[in-house]
Order: sequence, then C-alpha cells, then structure tokens
Amino acid sequence: MSAVVDTHGHGHAHDGHGHHDQHGSYGGIMRWVTTTNHKDIGTLYLWFSFTMFMVGGGMAMAIRLELFEPGIQFFNPDLFNQFTTMHGLIMVFGAIMPAFVGFANWQIPMMIGAPDMAFARLNNWSFWLLPFAASLLIISFFTPGGAPGVGWTMYAPLTVQMGVGMDLTIFAVHLLGMSSILGSINIITTILNMRAPGMTLMRMPLFVWTWLITAYLLVAAMPVLAGAVTMSLTDRHFGTSFFNAAGGGDPVLYQHIFWFFGHPEVYIIALPAFGVISQVIPAFSRKPLFGYASMVYATSAIAILSFIVWAHHMYTVGMPVQGQLFFMYATTLIAVPTGVKVFNWVATMWKGSLSFETPMLFAIGFLFLFTLGGFTGLVLSLVPIDIQLQDTYYVVAHFHYVMVAGALFAAFAGVYFWLPKWTGRMYDEKLGRIHFWLTMIFFNMIFFVQHFLGLAGMPRRVPDYPLMFETWNKISSIGAFGFGLTQLLFLYIVLKTIRHGEKAPQLPWDGADSLEWTHLPTPVPYHTFETPPVLK
Amino acid sequence: MSRNVKTALLLAFVALTTFCLIIAKYWFMNGK
Repeated sequence: MSAVVDTHGHGHAHDGHGHHDQHGSYGGIMRWVTTTNHKDIGTLYLWFSFTMFMVGGGMAMAIRLELFEPGIQFFNPDLFNQFTTMHGLIMVFGAIMPAFVGFANWQIPMMIGAPDMAFARLNNWSFWLLPFAASLLIISFFTPGGAPGVGWTMYAPLTVQMGVGMDLTIFAVHLLGMSSILGSINIITTILNMRAPGMTLMRMPLFVWTWLITAYLLVAAMPVLAGAVTMSLTDRHFGTSFFNAAGGGDPVLYQHIFWFFGHPEVYIIALPAFGVISQVIPAFSRKPLFGYASMVYATSAIAILSFIVWAHHMYTVGMPVQGQLFFMYATTLIAVPTGVKVFNWVATMWKGSLSFETPMLFAIGFLFLFTLGGFTGLVLSLVPIDIQLQDTYYVVAHFHYVMVAGALFAAFAGVYFWLPKWTGRMYDEKLGRIHFWLTMIFFNMIFFVQHFLGLAGMPRRVPDYPLMFETWNKISSIGAFGFGLTQLLFLYIVLKTIRHGEKAPQLPWDGADSLEWTHLPTPVPYHTFETPPVLK
Repeated sequence: MSRNVKTALLLAFVALTTFCLIIAKYWFMNGK
C-alpha cells in the first residue's frame, strides 16, 4: 500500500514555523505573479480552472437554452457552432486539465516528501501561459467572423474556411500544449528524482503513480496535437495542402492525427481522476487500497492501450473492415484494466468501516456514473452500433458521463478531501452533502435523457430539432440550469471554508495515510519537507 | 549538469522530436 511509512518521531519535525511561513519577497498580486511555490501555483491552477469551468459552463447553459425548445430562438446556427466549439475547448483544456495539474502541484511534492517541484520557475511559467491562451480563445469571439465553429476537434477542411478567430485558437492550443508539456516534464522529473529516501516507486500513493503515467502520456500526445494544428495553420496561410483535398491533401488524415492525440487525452483527464478516487476511497473505508500493485499495472496498461484505439472515433470515415475490427477489439480490451480498477475500488470498500462524508459521496457517485460512462463507451466501441450512433446525442451523453461524472466528480472529491489540509479549516459538511446530491440529480437530468435522444437519432451540434425530441430536451435543459446554479453553491462552500470554516483537526479523516497527512501539520505550512522525511 | 536537468532535456527532446517528425512525415509523404 502506498506510503506505508514510519510515522513515529518524524511528524511535523521538519516543517515550517516562523520564518518558513513567509510568502516570498512580494505581497499582494505580485506574490501570485512571481511565485515559485508549488502550493501557490497549485492554488492558481485550481482557481483558474474554476473560472474557466464557469465560463465554459455559461456557454453550456446558453447551448441548453437554445435547445430548450425546437426552432431557432436565440442563436443563429453559426454562433451555436462557435459556442459548442469553445465550450469543448475551454472545458477540456481550460477547466478539467488545469484542475488536475492544480492537484498535482499541491499534492505530489507533499506525497513524495519533496520540498517543491523540480523546476520552480518553469512551474510558474507553465501556469502563466494559461491565462493568455484562455484570453485568445475568448477574444476570438470578437474577431471578424467570430470564434471558429469547427468543434473542439478542429476538423479539416473546416479549419481552412474559418476567419482569423481560427488562428487565435490555433495559437491558444499551441500555448496550452506548451504549458502541459512543461508541466509534465516538471512532474516526471520531480517524481523520478526527488522522492524522499525510502519512498520507492511501489510505495508512492496511487495519485502520484497516476500522475507519473499521465505526464508521460502528455509528453507523447501533446506534440502530436501541436503538429496537427500547425499543419492546419500552414494549410491556411502558407500554401500547403496537408488536409485540403482541393490541393491534394486528405481531411481524413487530420482525423487520424487528431485522434492519435485525442484518445490518450481522454486518459490524460481520467487517470488523475482515478488517482484522486484511489486516495479518497481507502481513507473513508479505513482500509488500505485493495490490489495496489494491480492498480499500478492497470493504469499503465490503460495508458499503453490508449495509443492503439484512436480510430474508434472515426469508424464512419470509410476504413477497411480489418481496420474496424482491430480498433474494435483493441478498444474493448481497455475494459479489462478499467474493470480491474473498478473492482479494486469496490473491494477496498468491501467490509470496510465506511463513512459517507462529502468526498466519499463524490467518490461513490464517480464509481457509479463513471462505470456507466465506461459501459456506454463499450457499446460505442462496437462497429455496427457505433455506425448507428455516430454523432448522435448518445455520444454526447457517453463522454459527459466520463468527463463530468468521471473527472469533475473526482475533482470535487479531491477538493473536499484536501481542503482541510490546504486551508486548516473544515468545510460545511451539510452544505457539501447538499452540493453532492443536487449535482448528482441535475447531472443525470441533463445527460441520462440524452441517451434516449441519441438512440432516437437526434444529431449533436445542431441548434434545432424535430418536435418529437422536445420533452427530453426540456428535461435536459432544466437539469443544465440546475447544475450550473448548484456550482455557485460549491463556490460559496469553498469561500465560506476559507474565511469562516471551523478549525480542522490534525487528521480529519481517520483512514488517510499518505505523507501529507502523517508527516505534516494542518494547515500545511508554506514550505514543507526542507529536510526529507525518513521513511522506513 | 544535474540529474533533474538531464531528465528534463531528455523529455523535451522527445516532445520536440515527435512534433517535428509528425510534420516532416506528412510533408515528405505528400511530396511538398
């Protein structure tokens, strides 16, 4: 089990009091601009992510407002396409990924007994690239022709037909990719080289393992996306025809390259979520994680398999049957290591001394809904079914079960779990539970019914629909408004915790046993592990 | 050169090479 460490005689011994708590040379806003502290940068990532979550969520509600009833009410189809594009890009690159990088920054050094990230200044730069990239995405709405309406996949040849907003988006993707690669290099270097003596790889908490594997995925996959959008850029402005059929290029080539990045991207988002859940469930089951080694191997297997399944996103482009079969079987194979993880989480809870505080509620919610999302993924991996369901709301429902109920629920679980450690204050448990139940109910209101819409044939990315789809769309839209408002409650809970929360005990969760809980005081000081802990 | 810098340079090399190779591959394949 992770972090089975000697907790005797080392608790709090090396950690910050007095001068160690100072926040660098600057105060106010300059502290945040110039900070090289992993905790500050983690906080910046998390607040940035929440801000982008609200921006992308606002767009989602605008989309659901338009789809509340048939006909064109508020947006022309072009603006609707722009909203769906920016909603996807902002949520994937601006909200979910930075949220887990925020967790990585806060937690990895503390969990492995390191004083900070390996490259503290690079860490600062990795973060500060993000606001500029996000600004470019949002500014693209105000350029001639508006934001690109190409979908978050930025498919060719649509990219060649867009206005200047497309260039801003491509540049934003470059910046976001740079930020991710630099962050990943930092994370890999920190984990490989800066672990405390005795913290062997197979004693690392699973959250650290999942991030190590995710960081490798990012280093391998992000340059592929950067290559794809760079080729789109040269097709637009420099006379090449990589993807432009009119010049002898191939639009399907773009899809292959994009999804060679795109499917690992799904696991880049999901694996750190698995890591958070693998910390939360044992803590609230008061048992070690069941099958620690198999969890590590399963995570690695998922990462490797993620590179050989990309064409299941494009069964309908016209590929040979042998190709379809290969990608179908490879995709169904991913269910094996994923199943190992789900069974291990359930086995961890089995006969555990369970309690159901908010982090555990979100973790169990994750377990139910992510498994459902995985199962619909298995349905979509089957070629004959996928050909029927391609580009319908069934696909929208499927990936939101993975992205929202998977990644976002895990992020909420992580925030409630570590907030007492970060701030030294307890959140309001009653409000936390209300937040969970409202999120759970409204999430299913939005997305469960979209399976029915997809099965009935409603296409995605279209602002209008026949009357027969009206009822489920109304329910979905009402769910979306409820879900959006509920997240304001989350903001209130976090702010209330920071300002007025009750003092957190040293160990608020009995079963939590990784280094940040066993070796550091609550709240955690500004500088930690200046002297590495001794682990036996 | 420290171990951290060596690790980082190796990873940066992998990322940059992947980026360049993916463009180069289709550049030459398409006969540009």
